[in-house]
Amino acid sequence: MKFGNLVLAGLVTGSIYAVFAVCVSVWYRVSNILNLAVGDFAMLGALGVDNLVRVRNWPLPAAILTTLAVVAAFGYVYDRVVLRLALDGRRAQEGIVVTFFFTFALSFFIDGVAKVLFGTDVHAAPALWNGSSLTVLGGPHIERAGVLVLACALIIGSAFWLYIRYTLGGKAMEACGENALGARIAGIDTRRYRWLIFVGTAVIAAVFGIVESPITGYTYLSGATISLTGFIAAAYGGFRKPGRALLAGLAIGILEALLGGYVSAEYGDTVLYAILATLVLAWPRALGFSSAVSG
Amino acid sequence: MTGPMTGPMTGATPATPALAVRSMSVAYGAMVAVHDATFSIAPGEACAITGPNGNGKSSLLMGIAGLVRRRGGVEIFGVPAPNGDVRWAARRGLTLVPERRQLYPGLSAVDNIVLGCYCWTSSLRKARASRPFGLALELFPEIRPHLRQPAGTLSGGQQQMVAIMRGLASDPKILAVDEPCLGLAEAMSRRVYDALARIHEAGTTLIVVEEAPKRALTICDRRVEVRNGVVGTP
Repeated sequence: MKFGNLVLAGLVTGSIYAVFAVCVSVWYRVSNILNLAVGDFAMLGALGVDNLVRVRNWPLPAAILTTLAVVAAFGYVYDRVVLRLALDGRRAQEGIVVTFFFTFALSFFIDGVAKVLFGTDVHAAPALWNGSSLTVLGGPHIERAGVLVLACALIIGSAFWLYIRYTLGGKAMEACGENALGARIAGIDTRRYRWLIFVGTAVIAAVFGIVESPITGYTYLSGATISLTGFIAAAYGGFRKPGRALLAGLAIGILEALLGGYVSAEYGDTVLYAILATLVLAWPRALGFSSAVSG
Repeated sequence: MTGPMTGPMTGATPATPALAVRSMSVAYGAMVAVHDATFSIAPGEACAITGPNGNGKSSLLMGIAGLVRRRGGVEIFGVPAPNGDVRWAARRGLTLVPERRQLYPGLSAVDNIVLGCYCWTSSLRKARASRPFGLALELFPEIRPHLRQPAGTLSGGQQQMVAIMRGLASDPKILAVDEPCLGLAEAMSRRVYDALARIHEAGTTLIVVEEAPKRALTICDRRVEVRNGVVGTP
């Protein structure tokens, strides 16, 4: 029973890591930029909906739609104003270290705005599915919000997989990150894909924040932690393989829960990161880290 | 099999050149790579652009295709080409097979080829069932066993074949190939030239950029020489 409960709890946490890892790796695949602000969009989604419902008394559907529209508009404006100027202008910037700072700075900017708008307390969007926890196969229990998180992860992961594998648009998206010049020669609009995926992953992150926040609760600083874990899971997929990043996210979540339950609740995270670091040192090529470094 | 819309180009008459270049210059900062180039190529013609390396051949081709910004005019079948818009050129029928191939190394060979269809369809099903995609696969049957292999793991010769196949899948009216034999063995170079000859025989206007004119002139009707960025007829 304990093992089943831990695995289910780990699957829910792992789904969160997995979705953010997929968002990081899909956009990296298109633009060769690591999006460190993806977790901040989740925070914006959760705290934005909470603020509109709790403080301004908006109905929940209107609050969700407005928050998602604002996140999408913000992502679009950021691409137009910052990324287009920095990456497409006459003095275009290249290299992973330089472009890293574009989203790093964006993360700090969003945190600052969120602190002013939403304060520093822990809040969460209202639960979308109320009620007591559910029993799976007569044994382990799972919260209803956890079921929604798992369902979202499954839908989002499958949608990306189907898009990349079975559509010409998905393959064109991959081509943008593989070789931008080669993509333009084939008539692919690389800028359009960059902003579409950036806005798309920002909205997905916001949806996830709204669905997941009733479980953990968010502050204006929660985004950085989520981004970091998603980033680590994405690194296990070499930043370019969303499917592998998704599996890595799920595995990290389950491992974290099992370590917390059987080894030490206090030092579970320390042991987890020690294991992850050891794996990287032992099998860097098999885990995709060599491709992450070489691009 | 379905295929792209291949009707006559709007505004094109029998006398309209496939490609007209008028007073075109290409510069990288203060360095002028192509000076005031003017020439035209008739529909169905095969034209070699030759000259020593570093004299502006590739810059001339990139300026025509819209990969770099240029001064002066370029018309494709009588329609002025927007400056710096390689997508417009691809959709209008001018396809570039660039120097060093510019493939997508992590994607399979077949995905590289099918992406050539992107300039005329957004449907993967239509692209795979199309005549240009079928013709591309027929052009180099030796690539068939390697279609699922990542393009980056293919040999140089195989990569050049895939680059030409991607170009052919775009259903080009004008195919511009930059240094098709760069780094290839003699047997592979002959194979690539045989394929280019077949593409030309099928009615496609062909532009071949080569340092040495001898091989290019085995399939080309005429030659344009580029020396120190100046275009002339030898």
